Amino acid sequence: MEIQEKNFARLMVTPAVGLLFLVTIAPLLFSLGVSFTNLQFGSPQPMRWSGLDNYVRLLSKDARFLSALWRTILLVVGGVVTQTILGYVIAALLFRIRRGRTILLSAILIPSVISQVVAGWQGRMIFNASYGPLNDLLARFGIKGPAWLASQQTALTTIFLTDTWQWTPFLALIILAALQSLPQDIVEAARLDGADGWSMFRFVTLPLILPVTSIGILLRGVDLFKTFDLVYILTQGGPGNSSETLTYYTYIEGFKFFNPSYASAMSFIQLILVTIAAKAFLSFVRRPRSF
Amino acid sequence: MSKRVILSWLTWGILIVVVIFFLFPFFWILSSSLKGRGEFFTRPPVWLPAHLDWSNYPDALRRGGLKGLTDSFVIAFSSMVISLVLGAPAAYAIARFQVGRENLAFWILSIRMFPPIATILPLFVIFRFAGLVDSYAGLVLAYTVFNLPFAIWILKGFIEDLPREIEEAAKVDGARPFQIFRMIVIPLAAPGLVVAALFTFIFAWNDFAYAVIFSGSKVTPLPVVIAQFAGGHEILWGQISAAAIIAIAPALLIAIFLQKYLTRGLTMGAVK
Repeated sequence: MEIQEKNFARLMVTPAVGLLFLVTIAPLLFSLGVSFTNLQFGSPQPMRWSGLDNYVRLLSKDARFLSALWRTILLVVGGVVTQTILGYVIAALLFRIRRGRTILLSAILIPSVISQVVAGWQGRMIFNASYGPLNDLLARFGIKGPAWLASQQTALTTIFLTDTWQWTPFLALIILAALQSLPQDIVEAARLDGADGWSMFRFVTLPLILPVTSIGILLRGVDLFKTFDLVYILTQGGPGNSSETLTYYTYIEGFKFFNPSYASAMSFIQLILVTIAAKAFLSFVRRPRSF
Repeated sequence: MSKRVILSWLTWGILIVVVIFFLFPFFWILSSSLKGRGEFFTRPPVWLPAHLDWSNYPDALRRGGLKGLTDSFVIAFSSMVISLVLGAPAAYAIARFQVGRENLAFWILSIRMFPPIATILPLFVIFRFAGLVDSYAGLVLAYTVFNLPFAIWILKGFIEDLPREIEEAAKVDGARPFQIFRMIVIPLAAPGLVVAALFTFIFAWNDFAYAVIFSGSKVTPLPVVIAQFAGGHEILWGQISAAAIIAIAPALLIAIFLQKYLTRGLTMGAVK
């Protein structure tokens, strides 16, 4: 490449990269620094370096952090597994029909393009124990519905259900795209070799759609890990702390307790966990396998 | 009836149930937005209002909804413009000149994985010093965190799909690199620009995490208004539902318009 072109290309990326650096890397480094201090707004103690104190306290003494971590893991694993399976079922059904596929898919996808605040508000109404339609419907079948958002036992489940309602269509969309791009000659050859039903799915469809859908599943996992909006609108982490996720707890520490150093340490642990989990997931789905 | 026909009816039957499942909450808030005052706290609940009461809409707009609507629009539109103006040149340089090789491209993609709280907290401290909290500029700047990488990534995909020959012919004819970008690449990548524009608009429009932290009394995007309504002592069921319907409208229009590119947009171009 000519030098003139090289310089031109550098010039073209500089504004974008510069701005991204300013709003991501710079704050991140700042926050990394803060996480090694005892900075707390409104605290009488002077600010000083505290080394790994925040991290040690988080991982060994803070039961609230550890239970928020546990709930977040439940939400991520439960959400990813449920939504992938349901998404596959919906995609497979859509794949069977010809006429009307696009229109049905567009209708189903509406939840995934709206604001999470609206989804949360819909959840508040649907799951309202006394005046909501869900418990009314259950009552008509003679079932007494739970208190949903108002109960420690079901609050997190309600968040999970709302998220699943909103994002299963997104996975169905990606899986359908993967099904539509399946090489038909391979499918046909497998059929001639006697593959059908489960063996077709296990040895032909699944390995072929996995690489394409893994990105969508990963995005879902990362977004579930970041669950904040739904918690804020649906339960505010309650009742008690029974539905508090990691991001929500970090928000409380940082913006309600004005404890930026502690919250920074928390967000770094999250960043590390997400990175490790994402890498592990990708190497798992992309490892070479023999079928 | 043959097995095939039964199977086809069954498929359609299940799919109709699926569609009803995913659309029901919309029916419920639409119906709620048209209910009269006495129709919220009854057991069993009112499924369809006795007569349509439209007053919740003007009422929601009066109680901060209109301000929310304007703020959301101004912020989302500005975020879209910045993402395109900075994103398109960067996407072109990365797609055609491999600037920064994989590292730069990977870094841009990895921003999507960030827990927003990791940048929100320090940004908040910096914005407080700079006086950017509770201002349009603050939120627009904050939204570049996710919208700019998105725009770059989506446009990179579109530009890579363009045939190189036209650009090479222009180069032979003596066009300068920036002329090629402006006169050839931009017009050819127009569909990509539209897709990137509409998606960045919607992402900013829908956002709540940044909005709730960087807004205040002066700037209140619509999702924040809805959350405030919903968190108050007296919950205004009808008005909130009306505001939610208003918040859905642009996303819905854009989704219909973008049907062909929904997969691409929602997966950052990972699945075309």
